[in-house]
Amino acid sequence: MVLVVAEQRGGKLNRATWEAIAAAQQAGGPVKVALLGSGLDAPAAELAAADVAEVIVVDSAALEEYTADGYVAALAGLVERESPALVFLAHTYQTRDFAPALAARLGRPLVTDVTAIKKQDAAITYTRPVFQGKLTAEIGASGPAPHFVTFQIGAFRADAAGRGAAPAPVRKADVTIDAGAIRQKPEAPFKEAKQSVDLSQAERIVAVGRGIKAQEHLKIAEQLAQALGAELAASRPICDAGWLPMDRQVGSSGQTVAPKLYLALGISGAIQHLVGMKGARTIVAINKDAEAPIFEIADFGIVGDLFEIVPAMIAELNK
Amino acid sequence: MPRETLEVDVLIVGGGPAGMSAALRLAQLQKEKGGEPLAIAVLEKSREAGAHMLSGAVLDPSALRELVPDFKAKGAPLASEVHDDHVYFLTRTAKLRFPLTPPPLRNHGNYLISLNRFVKWLGGLVEAEGIDVFTGFSASEVLYDGDRVVGIRTGDRGIGRHGERKPAFEPGVDIRAKVTILTDGVRGNLTKALVRRLALDEGREPQLYAIGIKELWEVPADRVAAGTVIHTMGYPLRMEEFGGGFIYAMPDGVLSVGFVSGLDYRDPMFDPHVTFQHFKRHPLVAALLDGGQMVRYGAKALPEGGWHTIPRVYADGALIAGDAAGFLNSMRLKGIHLAMRTGMLAAESAFDAVRAGDVSSSRLKGYADAIDRSAVRRELYPVRNVHQSFTYGLPAGIAYAGLSLVTGGWWYRDPMPAHAGYERMCKIEEYYRDGRPDPDSPVRPAKIDRKLTFDRLTNVHYSGTRHAEDQPSHLIVHDTDICRTRCRTEYGNPCTRFCPANVYEMVDAGDGTRKLQINPSNCVHCKTCDIMDPYQIIDWVPPEGGGGPQYEGM
Repeated sequence: MVLVVAEQRGGKLNRATWEAIAAAQQAGGPVKVALLGSGLDAPAAELAAADVAEVIVVDSAALEEYTADGYVAALAGLVERESPALVFLAHTYQTRDFAPALAARLGRPLVTDVTAIKKQDAAITYTRPVFQGKLTAEIGASGPAPHFVTFQIGAFRADAAGRGAAPAPVRKADVTIDAGAIRQKPEAPFKEAKQSVDLSQAERIVAVGRGIKAQEHLKIAEQLAQALGAELAASRPICDAGWLPMDRQVGSSGQTVAPKLYLALGISGAIQHLVGMKGARTIVAINKDAEAPIFEIADFGIVGDLFEIVPAMIAELNK
Repeated sequence: MPRETLEVDVLIVGGGPAGMSAALRLAQLQKEKGGEPLAIAVLEKSREAGAHMLSGAVLDPSALRELVPDFKAKGAPLASEVHDDHVYFLTRTAKLRFPLTPPPLRNHGNYLISLNRFVKWLGGLVEAEGIDVFTGFSASEVLYDGDRVVGIRTGDRGIGRHGERKPAFEPGVDIRAKVTILTDGVRGNLTKALVRRLALDEGREPQLYAIGIKELWEVPADRVAAGTVIHTMGYPLRMEEFGGGFIYAMPDGVLSVGFVSGLDYRDPMFDPHVTFQHFKRHPLVAALLDGGQMVRYGAKALPEGGWHTIPRVYADGALIAGDAAGFLNSMRLKGIHLAMRTGMLAAESAFDAVRAGDVSSSRLKGYADAIDRSAVRRELYPVRNVHQSFTYGLPAGIAYAGLSLVTGGWWYRDPMPAHAGYERMCKIEEYYRDGRPDPDSPVRPAKIDRKLTFDRLTNVHYSGTRHAEDQPSHLIVHDTDICRTRCRTEYGNPCTRFCPANVYEMVDAGDGTRKLQINPSNCVHCKTCDIMDPYQIIDWVPPEGGGGPQYEGM
């Protein structure tokens, strides 16, 4: 059995949870999903739509706000009781915070940032980047189950997670957590930027580069994003110039995204940008320079003036 | 928020070969002499020891042998012994092999190393001695009591792009030391400030620099035998420009390929990065790299001026060692062993001074005297005018270099006069009398195919460079108006060419003119801009600790 640990905040599921479910379904065998927190009816119902054996809810006031100690205690108890063969998690910041402690607590291996899995007979090999992504290594985990595995965001497709014919049963697990043993005291989360956007959660992204030329031209990109229901993002020069906030920057010094659709407007495709968006499923590029490297990875490319093409697209979309 | 203070006996600023050797030597002295142990700390701005280290590199093991006699048993990462030396003179399409390898370029008995691996290993030895190596901390200023150096202040962390304090703000720490050994490398920001304040360069010649740009390549393992060393002169440089190429064959088909260009060129349109691309396109080099893959990139300035350009290396409470002071033999293209040896000598003087309770400059002068008695002077003094002679052109340089082997470096004017590189750079109208070149495109462009040749931005990606994005620029241009106006006309914005990392760009200002855009997070910490800017209005200051390249195998 594969146990997927879901991630939610304030009752809202992290999209990457579905990616971990997709990975678990690919691994084969029954899949169960564990959901931790307090007051979880809505996300539990949402998860029950997945093609999984059951959704196990650990509902406790001590888990209302995330703490590493609380999650480790709850999951250590749950894993011991359910004894899954594998525990899958999305490689989110939260997972990075508690998963190493959880694996260490149980004395089990932890394989992190996995991008693909391969099944051979009963053994599973995991592919993960090493040396800053220069190489990929295939590794196996040994020793008694369960093995803990975290999956790189975007490595599996959230929409590939199979849905069940009927909602999966939701069961409340009876795990008691000693609130006094939680050493962390969460403060209200602070955001460095005033309006933080998490582009990694966006399904569609319209990104602009130097080809947009002037800040006032951003309007047409915004209109296109609006027509597509997309988030607006940018390559580095745009954010450096202050035309868009830094949290909208995609690339090696910004966010790494994997939307269904990535529309690159006037982006030449420096390698620093490509590493942040090459995981997008469909890449559409508009650029004046036919030699621009963005066309090497684009699925659809338009060589031309974005100031002619984009308004036409907006008009078509708004029809 | 209160500022923390840390007290040590000896503080070493900069964890390169000089700094690590100094720390190791201090630990040895402690063991030899016994007594109350000294508190020692090493400060290093890179995230981990060695990550900002870049060199060719061929190591002369003389200093290593003295510092770590059992270096082989201790697992020193020496990639290969040098087996074969080749020196070529290149023309555009041909190569001419020197029938005899000039003596200074004979490398038998030396080792090919990756300097960043080597320094990481040294750092491990230092830590094994119980000495704290604080990585990820930059030193932003020297602390003084009057004119006596009493330590350094580390940079603040958590300052936003516009100088505002972010929620995670932490003020820098004052590290106070009885003796501060500055080993902050070529054009180190602290050494630069200290030399200026105390006029330590009074009566010395101006330092002459070069910039080395290097890539690591993976090629089929049987292409060049490991331990092969190739040096080139000539093309793509012209007679008036100093420099040359190198190819060092490491084991497993890894080639260290680089080009060193003197930062004393006259042509304001000269471009070291484009020159490196031309070098790789030369048939000799292209054949070696054919079908291979570029895997790493980096750049670093070198102090090439030699003996007469070394400042006074001691002051009240402070010593300077390694590249920071300019201990490099440009004739042999080597400096690591001199950095190590001066680091060791500095450690000895610092130890002696702390134990004696006298850290005044008159006591620390013992360091300079020790250098005068050491192999450092024996090696550097006879070649004291060689680099300067190359400013008269390649033939003059080669002739004088040959002569100095016989005469011990004599010249009728000793020191041979030379000017700082930024002063030698001509204005466009002086250099290009027949027509003004376009400052935004190379005069001698190299075809960029992103297989053999690369643009700067792609290259930077392979340096692993990363900085916290939301911080003030660590490249301070004191007057950007000059860039738009005077420099545009007079020199054509040479910063866009001598910077190997695309930090400086002249972008459309929206009114038909161009303005300077600085991309500080591309900076590979080579220091070339601080050195070569003709108006001397660029100051390189350390970014938030931990930022910079992440060299591996360089």
